[in-house]
Amino acid sequence: MEWIVFGTLALWLLGSVIGAILVRNPVHSILFFLSSVLAMAGLFLSLGAELLAGLQIIIYAVAIVVFYVLVITTIPWEKVKRFEGVYAKELAVGFPVVLIAFVLMGYMVVEGDFAQPVGKVEDNVREVGRTLFTSYLFPFEIASVILLVAMIGAILLGRKEE
Amino acid sequence: MSIEKAYILLSILVFLIGLLGVMVRKNLITMLVSTEIMLNGVNLTLVSADRFLGRVDGQILSFFVLTVAAAEVAVGLGLVVSIFRLRGYEGSSEIVHLRD
Repeated sequence: MEWIVFGTLALWLLGSVIGAILVRNPVHSILFFLSSVLAMAGLFLSLGAELLAGLQIIIYAVAIVVFYVLVITTIPWEKVKRFEGVYAKELAVGFPVVLIAFVLMGYMVVEGDFAQPVGKVEDNVREVGRTLFTSYLFPFEIASVILLVAMIGAILLGRKEE
Repeated sequence: MSIEKAYILLSILVFLIGLLGVMVRKNLITMLVSTEIMLNGVNLTLVSADRFLGRVDGQILSFFVLTVAAAEVAVGLGLVVSIFRLRGYEGSSEIVHLRD
């Protein structure tokens, strides 16, 4: 049963990811990316990470995808149309490199051994919340500063020049 | 082959497809989409290792990856818009000057 769920979601994910990097139209590419985000949220659910699946949908599928589409609408469409699709020569060179990297990494994963499990998580969301607000409290606060800096940077970069 | 190894292999594949996308796309916006795909692949690695080890630290790390992805999208798309506005539209092969 686990393998059926995994296989379906994996095929969906790989299909949408390959579509996202190969289709010509940028808007279609973003729609393929949205589909891959939904498949990834399904994989997180099947791994038992409910909080992360929800965050994936809220942050990626809602905020980031909408932001991309908004940015595309602010740019004149004929300028977007001037450069679309992929570079053929770079694809011909890059595909074997990526394939070799996958074979090497996959060989290491298939032949290697995992570490032994150290514990058992009973209630995932409760455990994530407790760990986040005890052991990882300081990085959590730093993350809010990072978001603030990014927001100020985006305002400064997107400002119209006088 | 156990299912954990299949999850790790899938996430490596997603990461490498995103890397290929960064290499081959002509449009700046779709290059940013490919970096998002790479971050998604890393998240899948962290969460699947987490389930196998019976801990939650990987999920918290991928939570921070989500934060960094949101910040990166804000700054990256701001840069893309300002590139469009300052110099007219340039494809990813034409941005070779650091200044005018």
